[in-house]
Amino acid sequence: MSQAYAPFVDRDTIVHQMDPRAKLVGISALFVVAYVFSNPVLIAIPALIALGLVLSVGGYRNLRRVRVIIIALFLVGFVVWPVFLEPGGAVLLTAGPVVLTEREVFIALGRSLRIVTFILGGLVFISTTTTEELVRGLRQLGVPYPICFAIGTALRLFPTFIGAAGTVQQAQAARGAEVGGGSIRERLRGFIPLLIPVFMTAFRNIQTQSMALEARGFDPMGGRSFYGDLRFQRRDWALTLASVGVMITAALAALGGFGRI
Amino acid sequence: MSADPAITLADVTFAYRPDTPTVLESVDLEIPQGAVTVIVGASGGGKSTLLSMLNGLIPTFISGEFTGSIQAGETDLTVTRTNKVADTIGMVLQDYEAQLFGTSVTAEVAFGPENLGVEPAEIDARIDQAMALADLTQLDRRRPPSSLSGGQKQRLVIAGVAAMEPSVMILDEPTSDLDPAGTEDLLAVLRRVRTADAADGWSGPETVVMVTHAVEEAIGADHIIMLADGGVAASGSPEEVLRDAAALRAARVGVPPLVTVFDALGVGKQDLPLTPSAAAALVDRMDVDYDPAVLPAGAPAGTGAETGEALFDISELRYTYETDRDPVVAVDDVDLVIDRGAFVALIGHNGSGKSTLSKLLHGLLDPTTGEVTLDGEPLRSYSASERGRRIGYVFQNPDHQLFAESVREEVAFGPSNFGYSGAELDARVTAALETVDLMPLAEDDPFKLSRGQRQRVALAGILATDPNCIIFDEPTTGLDATQHDQFMQLVGRLNRDDGLTVIMITHDMGTVARYAPRSVVMDAGRVVFDGRTRALFGDPDLLAGYQLRAPQVTQLAHAVAPHTTPALTEEELIEALGGPR
Repeated sequence: MSQAYAPFVDRDTIVHQMDPRAKLVGISALFVVAYVFSNPVLIAIPALIALGLVLSVGGYRNLRRVRVIIIALFLVGFVVWPVFLEPGGAVLLTAGPVVLTEREVFIALGRSLRIVTFILGGLVFISTTTTEELVRGLRQLGVPYPICFAIGTALRLFPTFIGAAGTVQQAQAARGAEVGGGSIRERLRGFIPLLIPVFMTAFRNIQTQSMALEARGFDPMGGRSFYGDLRFQRRDWALTLASVGVMITAALAALGGFGRI
Repeated sequence: MSADPAITLADVTFAYRPDTPTVLESVDLEIPQGAVTVIVGASGGGKSTLLSMLNGLIPTFISGEFTGSIQAGETDLTVTRTNKVADTIGMVLQDYEAQLFGTSVTAEVAFGPENLGVEPAEIDARIDQAMALADLTQLDRRRPPSSLSGGQKQRLVIAGVAAMEPSVMILDEPTSDLDPAGTEDLLAVLRRVRTADAADGWSGPETVVMVTHAVEEAIGADHIIMLADGGVAASGSPEEVLRDAAALRAARVGVPPLVTVFDALGVGKQDLPLTPSAAAALVDRMDVDYDPAVLPAGAPAGTGAETGEALFDISELRYTYETDRDPVVAVDDVDLVIDRGAFVALIGHNGSGKSTLSKLLHGLLDPTTGEVTLDGEPLRSYSASERGRRIGYVFQNPDHQLFAESVREEVAFGPSNFGYSGAELDARVTAALETVDLMPLAEDDPFKLSRGQRQRVALAGILATDPNCIIFDEPTTGLDATQHDQFMQLVGRLNRDDGLTVIMITHDMGTVARYAPRSVVMDAGRVVFDGRTRALFGDPDLLAGYQLRAPQVTQLAHAVAPHTTPALTEEELIEALGGPR
């Protein structure tokens, strides 16, 4: 009935309380550090910080949802990157035509960690930021309201769809529908009783939603106010300044050749 | 009522597309200012279409084929965009799920005022007032709307519109998912119509327009508009419109139960009562006696056999689900035995755990602790397909399951999943379609049928698997009076004649009274009453304690003869008052 479908985690951690703009800057700092260096030891630092943040804000359920993607990206990176890299250092593994050198493994590990950092950073943000805060934060950063609203609506529709899909799935399961098993053709056929009601429901929802928006005075081009306390506080400034400092330091250090392999 | 109407329609004709039938034809009507107007009429009779005109959604948002004029004061609604009148005309559409925009209760209520550009400091006060108006003060405002029960969502949408402080509020079936107490509270709020008291600020809409299928809800209105065949069939005070039983039936609107009763007792049309108190006064004057001895012990419809063979036996059942904050206990330590052939009503207020319990009975959810046994064996020991064959589940909204291109194919889906094929499958599908009276539409596209027909297709799909038991989750929501009666008579017949066990979740106390000899009342996940419906409805204190309301006929029986066996239906009340004259 009422499980949490939305990515937002309803908690009150300090990360939740930060201004979304400050959060964006802070996460950008993690991204920059992960991007400018290629030494996996250095990239592991933002990766671990992001992982710690995801877990500490209660984002484990979001992490679980994307764990397959994270593992796949990590492994694929490991396999693909060495193909494009120049070998160097000691040879770690020789299997037929495949020769893995220390340098290749190191860089591949760094690249994989970099992608994982991006994903984890994104998870920290969506786990701690409501759609309203995001829309408002984007608006305050100067993004035009129609675009902010489109992003907000897409995020809002997500739990609606998942909820409808859950109800449809139960309704069809009660009629003996079994999804999965058999050939690909049979599997696809098995999805039709789920997909059609979900799409029909979604389609009707969108129609009603657009009428209801109109009736609630929504005007994408018009002025509006924003409810709720969203002011930059001291800690937001502190995080922003620290993050900018980290970004500049990391960029300069990288330019100076630090952390390169 | 002031002289100027709030909204005036003149010579309005409308079709959604040039090739579709005309929904409204040459309609002239006035929505009186400072009053509650209720619009009644059959399903598909143009009620929602008419409502969409009252804030100009038609023709500014949905243009269709529109002719005529719509005027709200100085504003021409045929050319003014709806979002420009949203501060004065608020609208609650029928499908409340699709009208929730916020990620928290607070954000939801704030959304409208934000659109209007209301200062954040003022929005705070508006949220408090709107939440109080919609009776949601107890709700944790940080909860995401998707986690609320149906009735709570419905009230939250109303709060979201109220926070815009409109002077006219338009609501399309705002009580369809509310429990009896919730319905009564909401109607009370809506009837507390204010004249413009600008000095005190906004305290509720001055003018209310609502659509309902429940005729009892129309009785307290100031003005009633009855639609039939694309036009206004009647318009006037409740007394003028609701005493005309023949006209109501012709428009497929339910006849108020007390009108039916006293019409049969030979009371003249001018004196027919609409409320239990008026009826009680009339009984006093008529010098008739209420004789409870003529009433049967069981259900008036003769449904719900007592076989003594347990179909379901559940013990210490508990179901909790996780949220980001604390786990929520939806079903808490429930023990229940349901016999074969029984007709049990599962009632209780919104969010009390009825749907969760019924899904546990079907095995759609697995209990956290405790056990359900079906025919003496643990439910877990049956395969999903065996379970589905024995127990059918009819969901509230048929559109959550219809997918096939023809009615026949749709109905065949369940039985073919359970292994039937060829001639036997055909025979089952045909028999099911005949039972629900849809054989002539067997080759039609299910999506083109009416809501009542779609609900019958969903039921036929379950009947074709020949289950021992069907669980219904509010199966009559959105059906008009005629469709509702037909659907319930069908379910009653299946129970009485074929021994089908029926477990029905419903907020409609008239249905409970007529069909279910046994009621199970839930509150906060627990079963707080399990016994005879007649005993439950015979005890006003008990009912009030569970926030339930007896049907009007039963309320009258209480008023004229306290502490006796109450009549549960119109027919019973007529008998108890000496039979038709």
